[in-house]
Amino acid sequence: MADLLSTQLLFAALVTGALYGLTALGLNLVYGTMRLLNVAHGEFVMLGAFAAYWAFTLAAIPPLVALPFIVLLTAAAGLAIYRGLFRGLLRNPRLAERIESNSLLLFFGLSIVLQNVAAAFFTATPRALPYLDSIIRIGDLGMATDRLATLIIAASVTLAIVLFLRFNLLGLAIKALIQNREATLIVGIDVEKVQRMSFALGFGLAGLAGGLVSMLGQITPFMGFPYMITAFVVIILGGLGNLTGGLIAGLLLGVLETYGVALTSTNYRSILIYGVFILILVLRPQGLLGGRRIAR
Amino acid sequence: MTGPRASSLAIYLAAAAAMALLPFLAGTYYLGVGLALLSWIALAQSWVLLSGTTGYISLGHAMFYGLGGYLTVLTWQQWPLWISLPAAGFAAALAALLLGWPVLRVRGPYFVILTYGLAELMKFIVIDIEAKLGKFGRLLMGAPSLETLYWIMLALALVATLATYLVRRSRFGAGLRAIRENEEAAETLGVPVVRFKLLAFAASAFIPGIVGGVMALRSAYFEPFQAFNPVTSFTIVVIAMIGGSDDAPGPIFGALLLVILQELLWVHAPELYLIILGLVLIGFVLFVPDGLHGHLMRKRDTSGNRPRERSGERAA
Amino acid sequence: MTLLALKNVGIRFGGLKALDDVSLSVDSGEIVGIMGANGAGKTTLFSLIAGHQKPGSGHILFDGRNIAGLRPDAINRRGIARTFQIVRPFRSMTVRENVMIGALFGAGADETLAAAEKDAARILHEVGLAGEADLPAGALTLAGQKRLEIARALATRPRLLLLDEVMAGLTPTEVAAARDMIRRLHKDHALTILIIEHVMTALMELGRRIVVLHHGLKIAEGTPDAIAASPRVQEAYLGQPAA
Repeated sequence: MADLLSTQLLFAALVTGALYGLTALGLNLVYGTMRLLNVAHGEFVMLGAFAAYWAFTLAAIPPLVALPFIVLLTAAAGLAIYRGLFRGLLRNPRLAERIESNSLLLFFGLSIVLQNVAAAFFTATPRALPYLDSIIRIGDLGMATDRLATLIIAASVTLAIVLFLRFNLLGLAIKALIQNREATLIVGIDVEKVQRMSFALGFGLAGLAGGLVSMLGQITPFMGFPYMITAFVVIILGGLGNLTGGLIAGLLLGVLETYGVALTSTNYRSILIYGVFILILVLRPQGLLGGRRIAR
Repeated sequence: MTGPRASSLAIYLAAAAAMALLPFLAGTYYLGVGLALLSWIALAQSWVLLSGTTGYISLGHAMFYGLGGYLTVLTWQQWPLWISLPAAGFAAALAALLLGWPVLRVRGPYFVILTYGLAELMKFIVIDIEAKLGKFGRLLMGAPSLETLYWIMLALALVATLATYLVRRSRFGAGLRAIRENEEAAETLGVPVVRFKLLAFAASAFIPGIVGGVMALRSAYFEPFQAFNPVTSFTIVVIAMIGGSDDAPGPIFGALLLVILQELLWVHAPELYLIILGLVLIGFVLFVPDGLHGHLMRKRDTSGNRPRERSGERAA
Repeated sequence: MTLLALKNVGIRFGGLKALDDVSLSVDSGEIVGIMGANGAGKTTLFSLIAGHQKPGSGHILFDGRNIAGLRPDAINRRGIARTFQIVRPFRSMTVRENVMIGALFGAGADETLAAAEKDAARILHEVGLAGEADLPAGALTLAGQKRLEIARALATRPRLLLLDEVMAGLTPTEVAAARDMIRRLHKDHALTILIIEHVMTALMELGRRIVVLHHGLKIAEGTPDAIAASPRVQEAYLGQPAA
C-alpha cells in the first residue's frame, strides 16, 4: 500500500483529477446548453485515444503533436452528429417534445455503433502507446513525463476554456445559454450557432482527453465506458450544468478515487465512484456546488 | 385507452397457442429460438412497465437479469425451483427498491446514469464475491430440460404481457403516464410520484430476475460477464423501441423482429450484428419513434376516427 | 372558521428573502386576492402552501394541522389544489384524460377509470371544455389550456383552490368569462379561493379581501376599496410622488 502522505500519490490524484475535470467539462457543455445526456461521450474519448495511437504507430506522429488535430477531428465529428442527428430531432415537433428521452436513445445507439465499429476495424486487442515513458525526479517525487504532460495540458486547456467563457463573446453566449435559455433567445443571440459550437467544443474536449489518455493506459474499443460514468458522477457532484463546479468536482473525485483505491484496492474503484454518486443524491442532489434547489 | 378489437385479440390468442404448441412440433434448435423469443418478450414487457410509461429510461436492466441468475445459481440444488425462481424475482425487486430510492426521490437525469453503470458495478461485485469464494464460472449439474424451461418462460412472457396490458389501463398506469408528461403537475394533482416510480421500478425488475434464473439454467453455466452483459440491456431497449413501448403488443412485435434479425445475421455476419442493431435504434428513434405497433395504431386512429371539430375556440 | 393560516412564514433563496415574516389567514368560503408587483413573492407563497418548497421559518396550518414539509401530492390529498402560472397540461393526453388524472388522484380519489371519466365529463362541462374533451391538450388555445388547468385542479376535489394568474394573456371578454366562471365554481363547489392576479378589475371584483405583497413583505390587507385608497400600496405600485 503506497504511503498515503506521499507526494507521489498526490501527483497521481492531480493527474486523474485534471483528466476528470476535462472530460466533465466537455459533458457539461453539451448538457448545460441543451440538456442532452451524451452517453456516447466516452466513445469519443476512445476515438481520440485510437486516433493518437494510429497517428503514432502508422506515421510516427507523437501524441502531443497530434493532439490539436485529434481535437479538430472529434469536434468535426460532433458537428456532423449535431447536423445529421440532432437538428432533425429538434426540428420535428413530435420528437422535440420528448427531447431528453429521444436524444438519450440516439446517443445510446451511437455509443454501441461506435464501440463495435472500432472493434470491427481495430479488433478488441488492447493497445498501448509507449511514449514519454521517462521519469522526472524532483526530490523524492518521481513524475512520469506522460502524466506530467497530461496534467499540464489538461490544466492549461481547462484554464483556456474558463477564460474563453469569461472573456470571449461566444464563450459568454454559451454561459448565457446554460444559465437561462429564454433570456438568451430574447437578447438576440443565435442559439442554434451557440449550440453547435458547444457540441463541437464538448466533443473536441472528449477527443483531447482521449489523446492524453492514450499515453497513460491501455487502449481498447470499450475503454470509454468508465470515463463516461465517472464524468457523469463528476458533473452531478459539481452540479449539473455548473461548469466551474464540474472542474472542482473533477479534482475532488480524482483525489477521492486515488486515495480510496490506495486504501483498498483497484477492484473497489467502481464501488467508490458509485458510492459517491449515491451519497450525493441522498444528501445533496444539487451537487456540492450546485446553487439552484433541486426538485424534490 | 382502447381495448383490443376482436380481430387483434384473435391474432394474439392464435400466437399464444402457437407458442404453446411449439415444444410438440419443433426440434431442439427452434425450441431454443422460441425460448429466446419468449425471454425477450418477458424482459421487454417488464422494461416497458417502467420506462415506457414514466419515461425514466433504464439503460441497465441486465442488472436484474444477472442478479436473478446469480441467486438461482447460488441456491441451485438447495432450494426447489418453485421457491428459488420467485425468490430471484423478489430479490431483484428488492434491489430495485433499495437502489431506486436515492435517485427516484429527485427529478432529473440521475436515474439513467445510475442504471447505466449499475449493471457494470454489480458485475464487478459479483466477480469479486465469486473470486473470494474461489469460483470462476459455475457449472450447474442436473439442470431442468429445455422443455420444462420453455413452459416456465412461456408463463413468464404471458404474465409480463398481461401486466403491461393491465397497467396500461389502470389508475396506476394513468399516474405513471402523467409522471412522464409533467411530473411536477402530476404531483400537484395528487399523484404519489415517488411511490409510483419506485413501485414501477420494482415491478419492472421482478420478471427479469426470474428470466435471468431460467436462462442461467438453460445454459447450465453461470459466468458474471455473460450474466450482466450490457448487450442484454441494450437489446431490451432496442426491442421496446422498434416494437413500440406504449402498449402490450409492442414488445411482442419488437422481440419477433429482433429474433429474426439475430437469426439472419448470426449466420452471415455476426460482427455486424451490434452495429446494425445500433443503427436500427437510431433509425427508429428518428423515423418510427412509436415503434411498429405504435405506428400501426396511429394509422388506425387517423383513418378510423376523425378528431372532433373544435367549438369556437381558435387561436387568433 | 379559519381554513388556512400562515404564521410568520419566510423563505430565502441564497441571499434573497423571497418571503419575510408573512402572516395570513383565510376563512372557509372566502375569496382572497393576492396582489403585488413581479418578484413580490406571490408565486412563492403558493409554492409553499402547495408543498413545492419548505418554508425556512414559520408555520402553515390547513384545517388546524401543520402542512409545511409535506410533499405536494400529500397536500393535494388534504384538499389544496393549485394552478400554475405557466400552464402545464399533459400535452399528449386528451383534455378528458388530463382531468381524469385529477379525479383519479387527489382527495377522495376515484378508484376506477370509468368513475373518473364520469367526473371528468361533468367538470369539463362546468368549465366549458366539453366539446374539446377528445382533443390532445396541446392542441388547445391558451385560454382553453387555462380552463383545463382549473378543471384539473377542480377534479381533485379541493377545499382550497389556489389560482395563479389564470387571467394573464386573456382578452377582456375572456377575462369577464373567466371571472364569472370562477364565481360560479366558488359557489357550486363550496370552495375557498386564493387568487393571484395582475388584472386589477377582476381581482377587485372577485376578492372580498385583498392582500398586498411587496418585496416579500405583506404591506397591506383589506377590502378592495381600502387597498385602492391605501397610500402604501400606491407608493409601492406607482412610486413616490415627484417632489
